[in-house]
This record gives sequence, C-alpha cells and structure tokens, in this order.
Amino acid sequence: MKKHFSLVLMVAVLVASGLTMVKTASAEELKVVGVITKIDLAPDGKSAVVTLKDNKSGADVVETVADDLTLDKFKDHRIVSGDEIRSKYEQKDGKNFSKLFKKTAGC
Amino acid sequence: MLGKAAIASVLGVALATSVAFAKEHPGKDYILKNGYQGPKTCEVCHPGKAKEFTGTVHWKHASKVDNVDNLKPGVEYGMKNRIYTMCNGNDIVNNLKEIPPNQMGKTKFSGCNTCHPGDHSTPVGSTGPQAEESIDCLICHSTKYDFSKRKPGKRADGTVIMSQDRSTEAAANLGRPTAKTCMICHESAGGGVLVKRGFSIDPKNDVHVANGLACIDCHQVKNHKFPTGYDPNNWANDGIRMSCAGECHTETPHKDADLNRHTAKIACQTCHITRTGGASAKDFTKWEKQDNGFWEPSTLKQNVNETRPVYAWYNHTVTNTPKFIGPKGSRTDGKSKIYPFKIFQGKAYFDKLTGSLLSMDFAPPMATGDSLAGVASAAKILGIKKYEPVPGWQTIYFGSNHLVGPKSKALTCTNCHVPNGVINFAALGYSKEEVAKLTSPEVYFRKVVESQKDDF
Repeated sequence: MKKHFSLVLMVAVLVASGLTMVKTASAEELKVVGVITKIDLAPDGKSAVVTLKDNKSGADVVETVADDLTLDKFKDHRIVSGDEIRSKYEQKDGKNFSKLFKKTAGC
Repeated sequence: MLGKAAIASVLGVALATSVAFAKEHPGKDYILKNGYQGPKTCEVCHPGKAKEFTGTVHWKHASKVDNVDNLKPGVEYGMKNRIYTMCNGNDIVNNLKEIPPNQMGKTKFSGCNTCHPGDHSTPVGSTGPQAEESIDCLICHSTKYDFSKRKPGKRADGTVIMSQDRSTEAAANLGRPTAKTCMICHESAGGGVLVKRGFSIDPKNDVHVANGLACIDCHQVKNHKFPTGYDPNNWANDGIRMSCAGECHTETPHKDADLNRHTAKIACQTCHITRTGGASAKDFTKWEKQDNGFWEPSTLKQNVNETRPVYAWYNHTVTNTPKFIGPKGSRTDGKSKIYPFKIFQGKAYFDKLTGSLLSMDFAPPMATGDSLAGVASAAKILGIKKYEPVPGWQTIYFGSNHLVGPKSKALTCTNCHVPNGVINFAALGYSKEEVAKLTSPEVYFRKVVESQKDDF
C-alpha cells in the first residue's frame, strides 16, 4: 500500500512538473510587430539591444538580439531605425531575447 | 558523393579569389584619390561593363524564354511583365511608387522592382547612357555598402527614385559577392522575408555553404550573366544553364552503383533536397488590415525549410496556362527525370472574357484593402479597357533546387521504396504491379541489413 502510494505520488509530481514546464515554455514565447526606434549594438558586435514600438499597443518592447544574420543586418544598415519588424521573443530573467527578427517589407 | 579533387579545386579557386580580393582591389588608390562617380569610375579599368550589365536578367528582369508554353513569340518574359499568383503584379504595374495615404494617414514606398540595381530614374530594362549611369555597381561589389543610403524618395519633379551608397569608402572596399550579397534581394521576394522560396541559405541547412561555398561558386557568373537551372516558375535566364553535374559532380557521383543507377531517372535534388518552405497559398482577392493601417494579401506562410516537396517528372519544358504553371514530362519521353517541387496555390482575379489572369497594382489595396481597385488600376496602366474580374485559383510548381542537406539527411531506400514513402509512384505513372514491386523491401532488404551491421 505504502509502495503504491509512493508510486502514485511520484507520477503526480512528474506530471505536474511536466505540465509546468510546458506551460512555462509556451507562455514565454511572445510576438510583436512594430517599428524600430533604437538599435544599440554592443561594442564587441556580438549582441544588440533593440527597441520596437508595438503597432498594437504603442508600448515599447526592448529585445536583445544575438543571432549573427540579424546582427550583420544592423552592422551594414540593412535593418535601421524606422524599419517595421515582425519578431518573436522569449522572456528570461526579466529580459526579452529575440528568437525571430524579420523586416515586414518585401517585394 | 562529391569528388574530393573537384571540391578541393572549387574551394581552392574560391579561396584564391577571396584572398585576391582580400588583398586589395588594384583600383583602390585611384578611387581614394579621385573619389567615386558611379559606374564611370568602374569603367576606367573595366570598359564596357555597364553596357554589358544592361543586357542581363538582373537588369532587364526579363529574357527570351524558349521552354514555356503559350508565350508570345519575340517577347521577353520575366518579373518585369509576368503575371502569376505568387506576386500578381510585376515591375510594370507595380513600379516603385508612393502608396496613397491609408486610414491612419500613413504612406510608404513600395514596388515589385525595389531590388532593381538602378536608381529607378529610367525604367527596368532601359538602355543607353542614362541607364548605364544609374547602375548600382557597389550593391553587389562592395564589402562596405551602407544600406541606410539606399532608400526610395521623391525628386522635386515627383519622380520616385532609389538612392545609392556611392561613397568613396564603399567604392574603395570591393570584394567577392557572398551569399549575403545575393540574399539582400533574393530573400525578400514574394512580399516578405523568406515568403517566396522559404529556404534559409546558411551553414546549418546547406552543405555547400557549410563547405565555404558562396552562391557564385555554383552560379558561376561570366560577363554578368548568371547560369541558372530550370525552375518551372523562374523563366528569365541569361542563356546559360547549369546543373550539378559538371565541375564538381559527375553523372555517377556515388560510390554505390545502385545509387548511381538512380541518376538516369532521378534528379540529384530529389534525394538531396528534402525540404523547402515559404508561403503555400495566397489570396489576392482578400487583403488583411495590419496594425500599421496598411493592408496585405492574405497569406498562408509555412515555416522556413519545413515543407515536404512533391515529386513529378520534368523534362525542362513548362505547362503555362492561366490556372496552372508547372513541369511537363513523363516516364516515357526519354528526357524527363523525377524532380522535387514546392506547390503553391494563389487566388486572384481572372478575366471572364478571356480566361486570362489579371494583374493587380498593389497601391490601392495596400492603402484601402480594395483589391478590385488594384485590378482596375493595373488594367488602366496596361491599356485593358474591357474585362470582367472573377476570383479563381492558380497552382504553381516551384522548383526545389536549393538547401542541399548533408549526406546523412539524403533520402534513402526506405524513404521512397515503402508503401507510405515520400514518392507517389502511382501518380508518376507506374502500374499497380510496378508500384507493388517498387514499394517492396525485396529490392533492397539484404543490402540495407548488411549496411546496418556497420551502422550502430
């Protein structure tokens, strides 16, 4: 009986922690479409902090961008302030980390 | 798979070229001393190159096309004048222009030819001294091009032009074009980043890039003319065709004779390009309002590199009807091979009077969402006086020719020769009996079992 109870408890804990993880992972990915108002490229060029003005709410969204392709676009000004961006990001420790960062414009 | 000597040779040439460029462009001192005055500065050492460039597809956005049905003889075709439902417009009806104010009073510049490497003071494909003077040589040839200087604007006379970076710094730093150079334009086709093609060329996803090759190592440019393949939806070409077999690969590229046997009927891409991506469908009859007040055609986007291709026989000739653009071919014509394709479906307006697809000027619907106003504007530009627009769908097969995966990701016997395999043999014209044989493990069972002994 005791053994059975321990097993049930263990399964319950595992399921609960699994659900929590799923909830956390999915809740953290956020989306924004907005215009860049500021790009601060780190001196070493390995990251940048970008401020977007959310088209929907008008609020500022500040993201850290660290992928090489996007950083390269900041460096040669293929992406500049005033460009409209479609972005997905994750929140960690109170900061937003970019997962996708694309200009909305195309031809 | 790849001939080691061939790879070494190509990589060697690529490296030598980049080293040569990295060393220094011989004209650097001249440019630093005299500044950069556009193409005429380049012509001091490279006479005739500007005129040469105006004869290419990158400038004309069109060419003679000889492998596509139902084209008018003597007319050049390309994004300059084509109408199909990935874009539904072209350089003529969607010439770079200022979009009328939307409900929020905002305007913007937009057009199908925003990537055209000129300054838009002369039309796409124009020739002569003014056209040659407007070429933006540095956008491809400079390693320090400042893209913030390339932006659309209005001249005092109202002409919309595209400015360029013609700084001495950009001109003094020349280099071999990289994949980035090409993707500046080629990633944004179809209305957004990676919408049309949907593949991201990077070392993670492409074995050629991972081995240090750039686009121009395969598309080996000669006199500004680019070799291209036979994508059924990419008609314009510089008259030079390319394939995998040649400098790097042979017609029998595998160590395994059974795999080499496949190359007679199966294109390399079929086994080695197993994914594509980008938009799968668009509706130009219904535009969606965005939070910025502008409207966009409704689009079903797929993740980059995540769409499974379909397979069809293709002999490098193309069926072109208002409802369908795709490969021609069969297993019996002696010319076809099985190729992978991305299927795209687009909804737009057709002319009830002629059955042809109507094009759309995006300026009106971008501002107001009124797609019929876009059709009316395009008809006016093209001089079409009588038409009856009715909505309908068009299916397009896009060639799947990029994103070559590593050997470990290529299709194997068990991907195709099984009842639930990726290839639909019945649709490819095989009889029931043949399909049963082709999808039975009998053909390869012993061989795969043997290979698995070393693969654990």
